[in-house]
Amino acid sequence: MDVELQVNNSISPDARFISWAPSPCSVRVTNPTGASSPTVSVRIAGVSAAGGGAIVFRTGAAGTFSNDLTLAVPVNGTSVPFFTAGRFGQPSVNNGDVRIEARMGTTLVGSVPVMVRIRKNANVLKPAERNRLVAAFAQLNNQGLGRFADFRDMHTAAGDLEAHGGPGFLPWHRAYLLDLERELQAIDPSVALPYWRFDQAAPNLFTLDFMGVSDRLGTVRFSNTNPFQFWKTDGVQGINRRPLNGWNPNTQPGPSVRTEAQTLALGTQFSAFRSMQGNPHGTAHTRWGGSISSIPTAVRDPLFFLLHCNVDRLWAKWQRQNGRFNPAQANSYDSNPGNRIGHRLPDTMWPWNQITGGQRPPTAPGGTLAMSPCTNAPGPQPQVQSTLDYKGSVSATSRMGFDYDDVQF
Amino acid sequence: MATKRKTAKRSKSAKRSPSLKAFARRAVSIAINERNTAKQRVAALAAAPLAAFENDKDLAAVLNILRNKDEPISVRLGALESLQAASFSVDTFAPYRGDYLATLRKIVDDPDPELRQRVLGLLMREHDGSAQEKLLEGLKNPGKALVPPEKALQLLSYDVHAEAYSVARDIIKKPPNDDARREALRLLAADPSSAPLFEKLLRDKNELREIRQISASALNALKPDRLKEHAREILLDKSDYDDIKATSLTALEQFGDDAALGKDKALLKSVDRLSTGQATAKYKQSAKRFLSKFTK
Repeated sequence: MDVELQVNNSISPDARFISWAPSPCSVRVTNPTGASSPTVSVRIAGVSAAGGGAIVFRTGAAGTFSNDLTLAVPVNGTSVPFFTAGRFGQPSVNNGDVRIEARMGTTLVGSVPVMVRIRKNANVLKPAERNRLVAAFAQLNNQGLGRFADFRDMHTAAGDLEAHGGPGFLPWHRAYLLDLERELQAIDPSVALPYWRFDQAAPNLFTLDFMGVSDRLGTVRFSNTNPFQFWKTDGVQGINRRPLNGWNPNTQPGPSVRTEAQTLALGTQFSAFRSMQGNPHGTAHTRWGGSISSIPTAVRDPLFFLLHCNVDRLWAKWQRQNGRFNPAQANSYDSNPGNRIGHRLPDTMWPWNQITGGQRPPTAPGGTLAMSPCTNAPGPQPQVQSTLDYKGSVSATSRMGFDYDDVQF
Repeated sequence: MATKRKTAKRSKSAKRSPSLKAFARRAVSIAINERNTAKQRVAALAAAPLAAFENDKDLAAVLNILRNKDEPISVRLGALESLQAASFSVDTFAPYRGDYLATLRKIVDDPDPELRQRVLGLLMREHDGSAQEKLLEGLKNPGKALVPPEKALQLLSYDVHAEAYSVARDIIKKPPNDDARREALRLLAADPSSAPLFEKLLRDKNELREIRQISASALNALKPDRLKEHAREILLDKSDYDDIKATSLTALEQFGDDAALGKDKALLKSVDRLSTGQATAKYKQSAKRFLSKFTK
């Protein structure tokens, strides 16, 4: 007797990545040898490696999760659906550090390794996670000639109004981060973007082995084993980043940066919450001198993506706190017919829509948004509204495949 | 009239709620009141960088603080940071951007070195031609320099032009200090004609290790194949330093051809030596990771 397990509706190993949001799975009998009835009872459970991720299950799109499921599976090969999700608080460290096992009685009849791939606080990443992230970034940059150059070109003065010119600021950057993260995952699927909590000290982030150490001039130094030592953007070597006013990011939170609690308390309406674009977002950028402190050059510094990952996490946390995933609800977004194009809910977002000229920028670098083997959302040309329900809370098909370590489903 | 036009440009969606407006008004009134302490004023400026600019009067007040040389420097820097953070909200800040940049240009030669440096950095990141000219002028004629040469070279890297290469080459010939030499080399890392210089520096065991690391990075972009050749030779050279070997190994691991590397027995042997020798634990770990790719 053998069964086949599908994760994210796929048999591909590339699709075996899950988050807190439930992923559609299925089991079917592929070898009925030994079966004596039309259905067999198959117990589905997760088995974690030491320190690895943990998973839970449920039979339908709704309902409570449990540690295991027992399913009646037809021996004629018909698939039986179920759902799996990471157990909140127990993300993976390595690819495949938790397995979905299928047993008949005590006999193992099927097994697939999966990863609970979650965006974590960069300050608590394990060295292996950090090294994989940095290596993937370096390869995406590839001597300044790689795909990363497209991400540089997306975030320049030409696209300012698309990215920052209205309430679409948060949706645009959510898509931007996801696009980059999927490109990193094409290099190393075990990588998830981590976030820099700018309202906390980060002694493990600003080190020679990770995001580097700034000297008095603001030139960032890296260890000889850190691939970031080869960083190059716009033809220019290295990274310039200088903490201002005597701030030490290893021991102090960003000065004057709104804390998480203050940010979440900005208001229950998106129109109020989005003032976080100034503080903490803008303030976190400008605690530094160097490229990260100005829009046209900020993306030269890979710290940009960790900063924005935290901005997005704050939005995600605010969404969950206030139930703001549904674009049809007025307070989930600052929807106004007077918003400029690219900032209204039904609008597609540049550059992924590939529209140029008129009210849009003259070029659209980078092509459409990268697709994922784990989910079809938000599609190659996302709309503003498609970024809100990133967990699939309103519609399961909206799930984008990422989650934060401290934001529950 | 100008005030009315700018205010009218603000979109409805950018309007703040009454409570945020009131908060912003309070912040600006604290910031502009000279009877408050500098600390109170800086804190007020930082509290609501976006919301503070509800009208032209508020913005003018903050720009005045930035311009006014009689204000405490901490308050002026606070005003600059507040404006800079607000500039990240492009739609809200758009009507004021012109005044902001004009003010920066006016204070580029301010007596305070920290303010000067920050303002020049902001302008260079906007590709401001006048800032670039001033930096180049200062490098050619130190009597006119607004910032130290190493800072000027670093800032020029935001918008590199051929004239900057020429100045950087002169600095390398006669560097005023080690930092200036380093920054000149970083600037030249974008100059294809400097590749031979970086090859020479990378292989010079008497050179500062930081300079050799920079040279490896520069070559990785300018002549990646040459870097790989040098990196291999460095790893085979028993007398070279472990940190430079680690840089070489990182280059090969990240950007090398795995198929070719896996067949290079001499290289694998030298990496194995690094993984078991006297090198630091970090370098040994790096060597082991490299080897693990070819011994699975």
